Amino acid sequence: MAEITFDGVTKIFGDDIRAVDELSLHVDDGEFMVLVGPSGCGKTTALRMLAGLEDITSGSLSIGGTVVNNVLPKDRDVAMVFQNYALYPHMTVAQNMGFALKIRGQSKAEVAKKVGEAAAILRLTEYLDRRPKALSGGQRQRVAMGRAIVRSPQAFLMDEPLSNLDAQLRVEMRLEIARIQRLLGVATVYVTHDQIEAMTMGDRVAVMRGGRLQQCDTPQDLYDHPRNEFVAGFMGSPPMNLLRVGLEANADGIALVLGSQRLDVPTSYCSSHDLPTVDGPGVVFGIRPEDVEVLDASSSDSIMTRVERREALGAEILVHLSLVDAEGDNAVIVNDSGAFVARPTRLVAKMGPRSGVAVGDQIQVRLNREHFHFFDADSGLSLRRNQ
Amino acid sequence: MPPKRQRKIGRWILFGSMMVVAVIMLYPFWIMIITSLKSESQFLSGGGFSWLSWSTLTSVIPIGQEVLSSTIVCSSSILIILCVGLPAGFAFSKLRFRMSTVVFLVIVSAMMVPLQAILMPEFVNVTKLGLTGGYFGAILVYAALGTPFSVFLFSTYFRGVPDELIEAGIVDGLGYFGVTWRLIVPIAVPAIATVTVLQFIQIWDDLLVGLLFIQNTSERPITVGLAVLSAGRTTSIPALMAGSIVSAVPAMVVYLGFQRYLVKGLTMGIDR
Repeated sequence: MAEITFDGVTKIFGDDIRAVDELSLHVDDGEFMVLVGPSGCGKTTALRMLAGLEDITSGSLSIGGTVVNNVLPKDRDVAMVFQNYALYPHMTVAQNMGFALKIRGQSKAEVAKKVGEAAAILRLTEYLDRRPKALSGGQRQRVAMGRAIVRSPQAFLMDEPLSNLDAQLRVEMRLEIARIQRLLGVATVYVTHDQIEAMTMGDRVAVMRGGRLQQCDTPQDLYDHPRNEFVAGFMGSPPMNLLRVGLEANADGIALVLGSQRLDVPTSYCSSHDLPTVDGPGVVFGIRPEDVEVLDASSSDSIMTRVERREALGAEILVHLSLVDAEGDNAVIVNDSGAFVARPTRLVAKMGPRSGVAVGDQIQVRLNREHFHFFDADSGLSLRRNQ
Repeated sequence: MPPKRQRKIGRWILFGSMMVVAVIMLYPFWIMIITSLKSESQFLSGGGFSWLSWSTLTSVIPIGQEVLSSTIVCSSSILIILCVGLPAGFAFSKLRFRMSTVVFLVIVSAMMVPLQAILMPEFVNVTKLGLTGGYFGAILVYAALGTPFSVFLFSTYFRGVPDELIEAGIVDGLGYFGVTWRLIVPIAVPAIATVTVLQFIQIWDDLLVGLLFIQNTSERPITVGLAVLSAGRTTSIPALMAGSIVSAVPAMVVYLGFQRYLVKGLTMGIDR
């Protein structure tokens, strides 16, 4: 078992395609690190470099303190679980699981013992004589896991191992993988594009975009304190509402300009955030859907909205709201330098399953003042201090 | 008419048609067998049964030696074709290297060159190498002619094998040789069978290369032996039929033995 360190690792395909750009990331011994991001963000390339399946263009990559840039995959002592499992079709489950040990010259008895132990952990004992063709998706996935764990490697590398499973099985296997990883305590790098997997499985989550690391934190910190607009919009389902708004001075401090409506910003944000000047280019204001609350009556800290769409999900309803002005028209927000960005601002709110809102209703909503987020309108970086 | 009965009639029509086709296909074999079981005079008069043609066959040509020669030439050529075609197909489909597409197209385009077009240059080359006496010249020519097709077939087959399977082998501790031998070869059994059957039938039945490149009479293949038999001043048709049976049986055995893989091998790539 060992720790993994990416130090300024870059991968360039062809002449100028930067798949991974100056990635620096440390995975502690026994830690479950999830790399998450949209397609093409470089997460799989980073994992493949770690496995030794892609050359590293620059930077250094070490496993257990040893730089492995030029070490062959077989000598890195890492085990990988692939998206489509990559089970050897001509071998039985037991042969698949024991193959890596066999080619390392371990005795038959030793291989059988380790395969038996792994099969017991994975509840695969009764399937050991079957070929992969005769297994269900979930069983194949467990065999792929088994092939990795019998080796007792320094690190597990998993490349979207649950993406081929149906939704219910994915939930089960999510728990199963997390259980096995905790049981074995092996450093794990897990690649996924599914932010729910990232949030539920990882000790820490590294969010990537365009080959660059955006933020690496615990799931809760990532959710509560996204370092930029991308992370805020990527983590959470539905994602954070992000509205580009202007700022205006008022008697108590500053207020957000939401069309013709104004929303006071608590003074505490002025000290905790580097908010721009009131006549500046404005900010991107973020609020999570669960922090949007429907009110029965108007209050000083509420805003008027109209219900544009409702999505009933059973346990909750997602309500899409547009901000309205005094005449009931969709709000148009003036942004920086006098330029118009005609953008009917939309909010998504999570409501209880019994809430009786209907499309077209005008309703007052209160935004939870404890959980405002502010991002720079140009760079997208969080304006929070002491990050 | 009820649909069940319609289906039943349809099946009978299909069965009848297949029977007619089967009779048409098997009739030449039947004629070959019964003709071989007659003496020359019985063949001309139309009736009777005799083993005479079989004893004539074995006394006129060294049939056992010729079958052995054909087997040696066939198996050696196919071995070379497989040993070159399989790794080459793997390399063209799975490895990234400079000019791979161009080299692949050049090799595959060789499939379109007919044997007759290159026969004389090949003969000159093989003669210069001094290999026209025994098996070696013919083996090399057959291998050269069969390799482009096998490279094409294997590369098509391996394109359908997920890259992750090979990468899993590499992460598990194999090198490229290990991956080829321990993962790719077992997976490629249908492709190997297809190449083997198609090349076996082609080489086993070929007369021209054997006639030109195997000049030692003690090493000539069965097709050349049959040609000698039919080229005499008087040709014994029953003996020729007996020789044809001996010649046809190995190809049929190989075909029937590998047929279940053959269909899979020939249709590969279609459903991927």
